[in-house]
Amino acid sequence: MLATANNSLIAGRTTIFSPEGRLYQIEYAMEAISHAGTVLGVLAKDGVVLAAEKKVTGKLLDLTGAKEGGYGGSGEKIFLLNSNVIGGVAGLTADANSLINHARTIAQRHLLTYNEDIPVEILTERLCDMKQGYTQFGGLRPFGVSLLYAGYDPQYEFQLYHSDPSGNYSGWKATCIGANNGTAQSLLKQEYKDDIEVKDAIGLVLRVMSKTMDSTTLGSEKLEFAVLTLDPETKKPKAKIYRPSEIDALLQSEGLKKEDEEMKP
Amino acid sequence: METSFALTGKGYVIIASDTTAARSIVKMKIDEDKVKALGPHLLMAHSGEPGDTLQFAEYVERNIRLYNIRHNYSLSPSAAASWVRRSLAESLRSRHPYSVNLLLGGYDVPAKEPHLYWIDYLGTMSEVPFGAHGYGSYFALSLLDRYHNPDASLEEGIATLKRCIDEVAKRLIVSPSKYTVKVVDKDGVREIEV
Amino acid sequence: MSIMEYNGGSVIAMVGKECVAIASDLRLGNQALGISSNFQKIFPVTDRIYLGLPGLATDVTTLQELFRFRVNMYTIKEEREIQPETFAHLVSSTLYERRFGPYFIEPVIAGLSQTPSGGFKPFIAATDLIGCLNFAKDFVVAGTASSKLFGVAEGLWEPDLEPEDLFETISQTLMNAVDRDAYSGWGCVVHVITKDKIITRTLKGRMD
Repeated sequence: MLATANNSLIAGRTTIFSPEGRLYQIEYAMEAISHAGTVLGVLAKDGVVLAAEKKVTGKLLDLTGAKEGGYGGSGEKIFLLNSNVIGGVAGLTADANSLINHARTIAQRHLLTYNEDIPVEILTERLCDMKQGYTQFGGLRPFGVSLLYAGYDPQYEFQLYHSDPSGNYSGWKATCIGANNGTAQSLLKQEYKDDIEVKDAIGLVLRVMSKTMDSTTLGSEKLEFAVLTLDPETKKPKAKIYRPSEIDALLQSEGLKKEDEEMKP
Repeated sequence: METSFALTGKGYVIIASDTTAARSIVKMKIDEDKVKALGPHLLMAHSGEPGDTLQFAEYVERNIRLYNIRHNYSLSPSAAASWVRRSLAESLRSRHPYSVNLLLGGYDVPAKEPHLYWIDYLGTMSEVPFGAHGYGSYFALSLLDRYHNPDASLEEGIATLKRCIDEVAKRLIVSPSKYTVKVVDKDGVREIEV
Repeated sequence: MSIMEYNGGSVIAMVGKECVAIASDLRLGNQALGISSNFQKIFPVTDRIYLGLPGLATDVTTLQELFRFRVNMYTIKEEREIQPETFAHLVSSTLYERRFGPYFIEPVIAGLSQTPSGGFKPFIAATDLIGCLNFAKDFVVAGTASSKLFGVAEGLWEPDLEPEDLFETISQTLMNAVDRDAYSGWGCVVHVITKDKIITRTLKGRMD
């Protein structure tokens, strides 16, 4: 679409329609996300798997805290939202951090009121209601973030949702956000099977990541990884965000580890 | 004076409440239903400040229904009880607190268990095997301590309930004549005669 | 009628040798009428911190839920468990937030805090209803039987008690104190926290 002089006046206001009936700010937000690090999610019958490509990397990055961490998400892409939901973010990191904080508060407030872990769809819905507000009221720009929610609740068991800056969300069996999401999505469409198990989903996710990631290396410096399963004894959801050493071990066992000559000591 | 009792048994909860609506020395209505069905497997007896009681009970009922419609499934009895308790606890420190005492009974369908909660107007909540509100509680609770059996059949439970009703009729100065008695179990909510 | 005495209940915490113990009664009453003999007043905050909340029952539940909220947020963001000293200050500030309309609770905290060398140090604390902290080195008491608890504890407590001896001491202290208090009793529960495990026992006492 050709941008006319009028368009730029309208596009500047987040909360109004263009003459063609579009909300430009939302579209621009999605454009920002299409340049962000990929996040991939796959739903299995006994769990959900999330993987993400880190964009902020480098030798000078101080990752000493992250060596042990990862259980709450000291990375930039994958975060624990509640004991039963893991979130993966793509887009403006600062906006994402703000949304993660909101999501965690929403989950705790649900626990406060109902004494139960928040059902995954309700968390997704609440966050989306908030995001939609930024497209209709206040004259503030929308959040430039897309999220994947991987979670478990007793009602619908394992679920995977995707939400975008417009405040819309949908449930997926396998999906991808961020850069190269089209490629990843078609790869997933070919290889995904309905009754896939977590251990195979892990392999699938890592293989698709290795094909769609920009870099020649595949290791913990570039990859974040998480799995949500059910503890066999307590029957409670168990969220595991992998530590860098665990990611490397996993890649090694899948035969996908690719080293970077530059990063070696 | 308003009296309500409730007890659990094998796979059910019985809740009973008197049917008198009185103002000062006058019985304005003698067939008032004070036990509300909040959902397909949830019952609540309400007593306390006239006006507040029904207002709060309907507020709870409608909010539970809204949750069901919005999210396509029913709140478990324990989640519903937590929500009710929090509403009362928040109301307590507001400009005009609700003055309502409740007995909340429900059947958790997935877990196949009955649950009964005693809740007062302050937002005090305790899961109990049996409970009572009002002056009648001073008579009923000791009887229930002695005769309650958590694994009793429905018939046995009703017999125990009858003991409470009869004792209150005998010893409370202005005792209610009629009671609404409702049962909640795996098949849902229904009213019974005692 | 005092609001702090409306529902009844008492809590005590004691320091031992590399362990702490916290105990409470189980009564929930409506003034003189007993409602429940199963009303929990001590809650785990982390694997190594327990919180006792004696006072008005509605606030017991509200505060327990509120602290769970705040500690969950802390854990998820900090990616580590909260330490007892930090938690005590969280309790204090939460109560002071309501300085002019307080929660009617006098919390008791017991836990094991991590030392820089990796060991564990026993920790107990108590606050009043507006959050004034008391970091005792021996024992802390709260609730309707607090004056009785002070008396027995002062007599029975000695430093460096091993976990099993600490259990006996705190149990005797609690049982005898609540037997003199009409608003406390109807069952007791004791938790002994050591660095490896937590032993919880329910005591058989007078049910009157």
